[in-house]
Amino acid sequence: MSTVSSARFPIERHTLANGLQVVLQPDTSLPLVAINLWYHVGSKNEVPGKTGLAHLFEHMLFQGSQHVGKNDHFRLVQQVGGVANGSTWFDRTNYYETLPAHCLSLGLWLESDRMGFFLPALDSEKLENQREVVMNERRQRVDNQPYGRAFERLNETLFPASHPYHWPVIGYMDDIAAAEQEDVEAFFRTFYTPDNAVLTLAGHFDPDEALRLVETYFGPIPRGLARPEVDATLPDEMLGQVVTLDDDIQLPRVYMAFRLPTFGEPEWYSADLLSAALTGGKTSPLYRQLVYERQIAQDVSAFVLPTELAASFVVVATGRPDTDLAELEEIVHGAIETVASGKLRSADLARARNKLVTSFSDQLQALDDRADLLSLFTTYFDEPQRITSEIERYLGQSAEDLASVARDRLTPEKAVTIRVIPR
Amino acid sequence: MDNVKNEIRTKAPAPGGVVPFTFPHFDHFQLPSGLEVYLASIDRGPLVSLHLACPAGAWHDSPAKAGRATLVAELLDEGTEDYSAMEIAARVDRLGGFLFSQADWNTSWLSISLLSQHLAAGLELLAHIVDKATFPAGEIERLRQQRLANLQTRASQPSALATDAVAGALYPGTAYGQSPLGTSDSVQALDRNSLLSFYQQHLNPQGSSLILTGDLDLVAAKAAIENAFGGWVGGEPRAAAPIQGRDREETRVIVVDRAEAAQTTLRIAHPSVPRTHSDFGSLQVLNSLLGGKFTSRINLILREELGITYGASSSFSSRLGPGPFQVAADVETAGVGIGTEKILAELHRLQDESVGEEELQDTKTYLLGVFPYSLQRIDGLASRLADLGVASLPDDYFDRQLEIVRNLEPTAIQSLARKHLRPTRMTIVAVGPADKLEPQLEGFGPISVVAPQEVLEAGNVPT
Repeated sequence: MSTVSSARFPIERHTLANGLQVVLQPDTSLPLVAINLWYHVGSKNEVPGKTGLAHLFEHMLFQGSQHVGKNDHFRLVQQVGGVANGSTWFDRTNYYETLPAHCLSLGLWLESDRMGFFLPALDSEKLENQREVVMNERRQRVDNQPYGRAFERLNETLFPASHPYHWPVIGYMDDIAAAEQEDVEAFFRTFYTPDNAVLTLAGHFDPDEALRLVETYFGPIPRGLARPEVDATLPDEMLGQVVTLDDDIQLPRVYMAFRLPTFGEPEWYSADLLSAALTGGKTSPLYRQLVYERQIAQDVSAFVLPTELAASFVVVATGRPDTDLAELEEIVHGAIETVASGKLRSADLARARNKLVTSFSDQLQALDDRADLLSLFTTYFDEPQRITSEIERYLGQSAEDLASVARDRLTPEKAVTIRVIPR
Repeated sequence: MDNVKNEIRTKAPAPGGVVPFTFPHFDHFQLPSGLEVYLASIDRGPLVSLHLACPAGAWHDSPAKAGRATLVAELLDEGTEDYSAMEIAARVDRLGGFLFSQADWNTSWLSISLLSQHLAAGLELLAHIVDKATFPAGEIERLRQQRLANLQTRASQPSALATDAVAGALYPGTAYGQSPLGTSDSVQALDRNSLLSFYQQHLNPQGSSLILTGDLDLVAAKAAIENAFGGWVGGEPRAAAPIQGRDREETRVIVVDRAEAAQTTLRIAHPSVPRTHSDFGSLQVLNSLLGGKFTSRINLILREELGITYGASSSFSSRLGPGPFQVAADVETAGVGIGTEKILAELHRLQDESVGEEELQDTKTYLLGVFPYSLQRIDGLASRLADLGVASLPDDYFDRQLEIVRNLEPTAIQSLARKHLRPTRMTIVAVGPADKLEPQLEGFGPISVVAPQEVLEAGNVPT
């Protein structure tokens, strides 16, 4: 079995005096450079009543800074043939642009201007505009979508109201509508500092020259102050709940979730591999039983979220019009129990491993995906080299490791279940 | 702060020396069976991406048999002369590959991506599946039931309802008049003979293209292709029935009533030109400026000025028949009237005013600059090469196209807009609460209000 060699991806690491971590991954295969900046802040750093602030903030960071006009971030990037965007997650917020290689300075200038000179350009009109845009984003992605609120409800049930994963990344509508300029300013001052960020460049550049440019643009930005600790205490008493939602849908669907140790722990990898063994492809036990043989499900999937305060193992299955969701749940629990008792078929484990090896090479193809992974492994583990070594953590998992996580973490009494039924 | 530092901060840095880009080299040849082969060796890791594109798209379906092409494509890997559905899947598992068989409007696709060490096995599997599919009755029934359930879910998907309403209004009685997935009635009526005859008539080497990209040894790959596909033979490709969109005399409005909708899904459309039209490339420049990128006119107005949407965009579809030109946005319901007015005004403005030099130059450099971005992955290059095969475009098409973009003049954009946009003869589809939408939309043209369920049944969209 071939895996990815680290020689293929030379990596340089630097830390500027202000704490900014810099990862350089030169690759001359295309005349492009991917710039990827992770701030270690996400919806987990919000408080109840002010949910959605991290994501709204991400929008505000595209509204210009002291030397960049309101629509100029996208305009300057697109007029040279670049692409740009950002995204917000529970634990982090990323900003990225992929530019023609000769425009590296432009990207660094734009990112450093909003890291160092954002507040002078912030005004209430821009905030008002982006509050409306984000409320429409929430309508489009959540409130106007079939099953749109189910995932939100799942996390509300799996994590207590005090825990930062209780609320959705996009936030609640009332909180978005109520966000004020002082909230945005305080968020910036606290979290948008060079010592809370990782900057990765992947693509066609000379590493010495690139580092010099990074130092020129980011070096003068001052380091931040101490950031507040997040309280992630997690009591057990909520597990075992079943919640029923009705929705404007035709097919019933069940979401089942179990808590896991954080991303990076050995059990997390066992669980992730187990999710692939249970549902990845037509021959997998859950697809075979539910979709192929008994034909009581339209689809089934399982995944593990890479989150750092606590993780979750999630199974989602959509029924046929007359399916009893309890029957789907029983089969899911049964399939996990089969793994727990050491009876996972070796072909299922082999399939999960084989496909992972292919997927790992696949996700390193594109400069922008690779840059994002380098930022991820640097932010969470201070170890960018994991873009090539991470696969070994999966391949090191044995059938007994999978059985053990199934026994310890994925039992029916620890499940939280959301049933969505047609109204 | 001294002046030098100040300058670094206050002015956007000038670009450095341009790194030249050339389209990756590829080989193109034909096998004796007529199968066109496109091969490109590029270094993106130890992977290959294989695609077989057959001229068997949903546009080859008659309305009564809508859903046939997509069902045939899904059934290809559900049983062959040598293997059952599960045996095929198990072979793919052992290769660590990802196999897809699906059809879109133009094409049936059979694709696999895997580690390059498994190239020969992947090719053999693709060739075997396309040549020896058996369409077992039990698998047909299973996928039919799955498809019928899937079609039911469209009743609560606002974007699916909008798409189906546009299709029914613009293309009544043609293959484009309903979803490529078909309707409940048409899918119920498809029998095994009908699926088999589609397979036999449309999935043949003539007119099909095989595309290989990634970590390839060209000599070994050619030998493996001849070995795997040499025995695949078949008849002449069958043309699709001509499709004519319905042009209107005036703008009209269709409201799909979802009383509880949290937002309105808005589409403004008319039939347009096929992928092979000589203006298609230039129209991409017009579209990029109008609604094809974040800084396009429509997105900046509806999102960054009015804040009534998360995003608004426009597109000309790349169908081989005359697909739609369409503006799409999910808009807060109270803003649908003003949003529609602004969108139509921008269509008029492209016809009435010449585009500024700078705006056009920005659009051109955007399109030229992002082209290599689409080639970061081996499947990105494969989809470019597949485009050549599917639309029978010459091998130097992309070089020529980039040249056309470079040379386009502001006056050309205005001529294109006058020739290809029809802002007074649009179909406006709004999926949302009718009681709130009707007062906002009545000024744009006659309104019909329909129920979601009506939209899903072909022939029930008012034309």
